[in-house]
Amino acid sequence: MNKALEGIRVVDLTVEFWGSIGAALLADFGAEVIRVEPLTEAPALGVEYEHAPGEWNAFAALAQRNKQSLAVDLASARGRTLVQDLVGKADVLITDRSRDALAAAGLDYGTLVAKKPDLIYARGSGFGPQGPDADLPAIDELAAARTGMMPILPQPGQPPVFPGHGQMYTAVMLPFGILTALHHRVKTGEGQEVDASLLAGNMYGASLDLQAYLAIGGERMLQPISRLDAGNPMSGTVYMSEDGPWVTLTMPDTDRWWPIFAPLVDLAVDDPRFDTHDKRCGANRLEMMQVLEQAFLRKSAAHWRAMFQEHQLSADIIESYEFPATDAQVYRNRYLVEVDDPSHGKQTTLGFPIFMRETPGRLSGGAPARGQHSAAILHDVLGISEDEITALRDAGTIGG
Amino acid sequence: MASALEGLRVIDLTVWFQGPVAAQHLADFGAEVIKVERPKGGDQGRGVRSIKALPVGDWNQYFLVINRNKKSMALDLKTEAGREIMHRLVAQSDVFLSNLGADNLEAWGLTWEKLHAINPKLIYATTTGYGPYATTSKPSFDMTVQALTGLMSRLGEPDQPPIYLGMGSGDAYGGLMAALAILLALWRRNTTGVGQHIDASLYGAQLFLAAPTLQAWLATRDTRWSAQQSRTAARNPLWNTYRAKDQWMMLCVPNRDDAFRAFSGSVGDATIAAEAKFASAAGRREHARELIAKLDAAIATRTAAEWMTRWATLGPRGVAASPVATLADLAEDAQAWANDYLSETHCEEVNRTVTVRGMPVTLSKTPGTIRSLGPELGQDTEMILFEMLGYDWDEIGALKAAGAIP
Repeated sequence: MNKALEGIRVVDLTVEFWGSIGAALLADFGAEVIRVEPLTEAPALGVEYEHAPGEWNAFAALAQRNKQSLAVDLASARGRTLVQDLVGKADVLITDRSRDALAAAGLDYGTLVAKKPDLIYARGSGFGPQGPDADLPAIDELAAARTGMMPILPQPGQPPVFPGHGQMYTAVMLPFGILTALHHRVKTGEGQEVDASLLAGNMYGASLDLQAYLAIGGERMLQPISRLDAGNPMSGTVYMSEDGPWVTLTMPDTDRWWPIFAPLVDLAVDDPRFDTHDKRCGANRLEMMQVLEQAFLRKSAAHWRAMFQEHQLSADIIESYEFPATDAQVYRNRYLVEVDDPSHGKQTTLGFPIFMRETPGRLSGGAPARGQHSAAILHDVLGISEDEITALRDAGTIGG
Repeated sequence: MASALEGLRVIDLTVWFQGPVAAQHLADFGAEVIKVERPKGGDQGRGVRSIKALPVGDWNQYFLVINRNKKSMALDLKTEAGREIMHRLVAQSDVFLSNLGADNLEAWGLTWEKLHAINPKLIYATTTGYGPYATTSKPSFDMTVQALTGLMSRLGEPDQPPIYLGMGSGDAYGGLMAALAILLALWRRNTTGVGQHIDASLYGAQLFLAAPTLQAWLATRDTRWSAQQSRTAARNPLWNTYRAKDQWMMLCVPNRDDAFRAFSGSVGDATIAAEAKFASAAGRREHARELIAKLDAAIATRTAAEWMTRWATLGPRGVAASPVATLADLAEDAQAWANDYLSETHCEEVNRTVTVRGMPVTLSKTPGTIRSLGPELGQDTEMILFEMLGYDWDEIGALKAAGAIP
């Protein structure tokens, strides 16, 4: 199969789920990603959902797929030299470790760029490369707390909500930055440092709320807004259906939708309270939300789904994870894929969020066991002899 | 300063948010982005008048920020002459990006097959609602698709309404995915000389956005990952939100005995550290409600600033914690400014400096830059026709007469 990143070699020194996913995206699209796993560390990932020993490690299956693994003792001078030499044969280093830890292992930018002048050195950080908090730990919760969205996500009077998705923006910003740097390198021969932080990811995810506050300001942007006090009763709103599931509407240009929508919620198109966009979103906005609240409660979610489909409305039912997991088009688009794990049988995992006609995302291997490819990497990439590899293994410098 | 993507030309036939923001990423890093808009009204994003029932004010930040660093060309694709111009643009470009409906693209001769035939090197990029193999045909917006993924229904306290991740949160992700896909396809083209079709959809992107919990749910089918969970029963009581005397805080202490010992001594309730049932990780989990109630009471006795000072000195690196900021706090956050995540730029529309979202990715030698905010509708139409496509002024006059351009 054709690979978009054929010939690109990446050394992956990530620890966190999101950082590892950033590297996995490169592997999914054909880069050779060598995961360096320090022998002195507990294996990363898999602890989050406390899978029982022997159970399928879903986090690793997603974040480490398509990678090779080199297990090495980074506490030893020889181990550090091996990794430095490996970086010398690579195009990209990707990491989410602290700068202190990287410097201690001789894997800081200054050291590595001396060995590989056109290296692209990409780091996922907590809070960016500059500023007073550049070395705070890279924890998504801390970055989310800094971003200003947590207090305004819930309804008034509710505790702030940690949404948990901010890290996923960062996970994609990292490969985006790497590819941008590769494009620069191919023209100029120049490498550079790339940083994508959790703070930047959370801020980017909050784009419109943040930009609106920056431009408009005001207390209303800082407080949770009741769902029955939305700016537009037909857009960005949620209403409960008769049997419990919630309905959501996004019809910002209400004039376009009103003639179709009004009869579905038992309103006359020429109802004088709601017959213009300005009335719907202005003077009679709150009254309209009360009317819609009652209307949606009169019918089941299935009814509303059928109506939205029949009339091609921009509206839907708020579902749970069961829904995409049983939605055939999700598999047809390979957003979810089924894998046959050699030890754990058929499993469902996230697939590929990017469609490429000629170079599709591929699943050429599951998550490697720690050190699974140690010998092969040392031999094939660094040209180390079998005897020396045996000696390195005996000395505990490499594992696997 | 050098730009990483200088020399790339992108035709940006997109509206609202997901498509425009994809092209914005490329424009920030130096690509030449030509936004093609219908002559009457242009991109619908230009029409945004209010956000959260507040007037957008004297500059339309919704449109101007995601369309920064772009040129604008007004073109009526319903006319044959307009379509001819578009084909000539495509012949001289690297990327064609659209988030218009497939029916429009078909009607206007802008399908992958057609444009690939005109320019085999072209990257043909679409951002869609449900993906290239979708069976759903309904119109899609960020929130209606976010609703389907399951992301919304797991957030918030039990029995509260589902929670939307924020305006444009899914669009922003689909746009970022599309930008990455375009760069992947351009990289491949360096080898083959040939373009391809790429797509990023709201559905696919937002399922990936859900990865931290969706992947766990897929493996376990445990509702703990898919349904609302109360903070009063968090599995790790030490990794949770707490309300200090003056404001909420986020506390991130691992559920390990050493971390708990250091932390519990600091909270001012000696019974927490002394209680045998809280002494082990399993005990703290099993008695989470009780421990959280005790911590709620203890943490409410001091302000967030007092806790931050006290916790900073605990252990070798302190306790990881943060006050829960508001957008107003973020707007003044030195860290965000130091890294160019917030930035000031000149807004021609109001002839003053405004604050905008800056660069979410930092490149040390070729940083992204803001050279201008969003263009006026059609401001570059004639220059592009004249300089890039080689139309002469008589021909341009004829195009106006034919209604292809305004």
